Amino acid sequence: MSVATATPTRSPAAPAAGGRAGQSDPGAPWGALGFGSPGALGVLLLLYAPFLYTVVLSFTEYDGLTSPQWVGIDNFTRFFEDPAMGTSVRNTLMWVVGTTLVPVALGLLVALLSFGIRGGTLLRLPFMLPYALSGAGLGVIWGFILQSGGAANDILGALGLPGADTSFLLEQPWNTISMIVAWTWQQTGVNTLFFLVGLQSIPKEPLEAARLDGATGWKLFRHVIWPLLAPLTTVVVGLALVASLKTFDIVWVMTQGGPGRNSETLAVTMYRDAFVAGEYGYGSAVAMVLTLTTGAVTLAYLRRQVKVREDLS
Amino acid sequence: MIRRGVLLVLGAVWLIPVYLLLVNAFRPSTEFDVSKIWVPDPDFGFIDNVRFAWDAAGLGPSIGSTLLYSVASPAIAVVLGAMAAYAIVVLRLRAGFWWFILLFGGTIFPTQMLLIPLFLGYSSADLYDRRLGMVLIYTAVCVPLAALVLRSFFTGVAYSIYEAARVDGASIWRIFWRIYLPLAVPALGAVLILSFVFVWNELLFGLTLSQGETVRPMMTALLSLSSAYAGSTVPVVLAAGLVMSLPTVLVFLGAQRIFARGLALGQF
Repeated sequence: MSVATATPTRSPAAPAAGGRAGQSDPGAPWGALGFGSPGALGVLLLLYAPFLYTVVLSFTEYDGLTSPQWVGIDNFTRFFEDPAMGTSVRNTLMWVVGTTLVPVALGLLVALLSFGIRGGTLLRLPFMLPYALSGAGLGVIWGFILQSGGAANDILGALGLPGADTSFLLEQPWNTISMIVAWTWQQTGVNTLFFLVGLQSIPKEPLEAARLDGATGWKLFRHVIWPLLAPLTTVVVGLALVASLKTFDIVWVMTQGGPGRNSETLAVTMYRDAFVAGEYGYGSAVAMVLTLTTGAVTLAYLRRQVKVREDLS
Repeated sequence: MIRRGVLLVLGAVWLIPVYLLLVNAFRPSTEFDVSKIWVPDPDFGFIDNVRFAWDAAGLGPSIGSTLLYSVASPAIAVVLGAMAAYAIVVLRLRAGFWWFILLFGGTIFPTQMLLIPLFLGYSSADLYDRRLGMVLIYTAVCVPLAALVLRSFFTGVAYSIYEAARVDGASIWRIFWRIYLPLAVPALGAVLILSFVFVWNELLFGLTLSQGETVRPMMTALLSLSSAYAGSTVPVVLAAGLVMSLPTVLVFLGAQRIFARGLALGQF
């Protein structure tokens, strides 16, 4: 819509202002409206309106052909009684725990190790490369690595570790775990980038003081750097949290949520119910559950973090 | 010394998938054998693999569309976002803060909350499986970031520039187009790059709102290529994935600093 509305509103804006030149400045009220509304209209029509309609649809049964039937909260009760829901929620939780811990911790490790040493940029490059990959590209590469008898099995076999015969993408819970590994491979770099920004902004004085007091290595990190990085860590973990709750691309490319439905996340469940099964009402309800969960978890996390910091100070 | 060693080992582990990708994307597709994935093949099959993906799997037709989406949508979004930011900051739009909240609020909606109504609405408005429809949704999704970044950028521009230009008789449109937009080029660049990468890599809207080979974005094409029934071999799929990742990898490496700044503003 934004394109269509941009042209007509744009042109009257200029003459209107030209005619009023000198009168209503600084106000140019009509001009301001003309400049502000195309973007706002696009966002309202294509983001806000669909959002609200999904809320309405989640209380209906709708197959896309006949008109939507109001069913109250039936979709939600059905969701919580659905056996596939249990798997989906469990997988989503695994994603949340796995992806908020592992890539963030590894990203912090790489940032700490490479910060301030010569050639640090070059040593970081392997971790940065995967970040530019799309979710689909990531799925293609790791689908190949994790296929039965593929590279992952080869490596485990060569190292004499168990798992040389595991079909990683076919067995539960290995499919979810191995997809989290793939995700970690991609996301570590961006977390490193975040933590580097954080490390650069740490004031030098407390570090110098701690060094003079004889703190090095782990002690220096635990008692000086870690507390100073805490606000940033909150943000990084928060972002990872929100992203992981909405995981779709990589799962859809690697397993399509299968075999059966046993590697589905909530986002995949939503897509399948709406666009494969054609149940738009029920799909909307799953989208609602996903959104409410994301909102609630994020809020709870942020409140906890604020509380912890208040207790510390 | 220990730090460097740990980094080297970890980095080597990180490069294993890259190595496997390269070796097997360059292997002639007839030579592929699961037991020999670690050894490079003496024959160079990359071009043929890409050609196969291009013709047989319809990657070719979708590259034009993908380019259109990932260039046009961010460009339109940046102008719309800049116009809104200009209205709010410079023209002092009434209740400007709420306009900003409205615009930026667009980022908090999970894609899943938009898909069903967009699909239904597009179907009835004849926008489903049309390039125009794809450009529209990608533009709308890119507007909030542009508005956010340009709002803070314009706040830093001295208001006297605007006043002086007004006294000289320039119209507000002219001031926007000839003074404010050129001033904002660095900020515009950062937003354009981030939006380009986002649209280029996007899968879910493409999957839901398009279908035909000429309209669907490339990530969707890659997905159907990698599905078992497409009859394509592993080297073909990997070569296609590699080619499609090149633009974003190059942009990313070329603009790491801009990325870091953009990331600091909000992950996209």
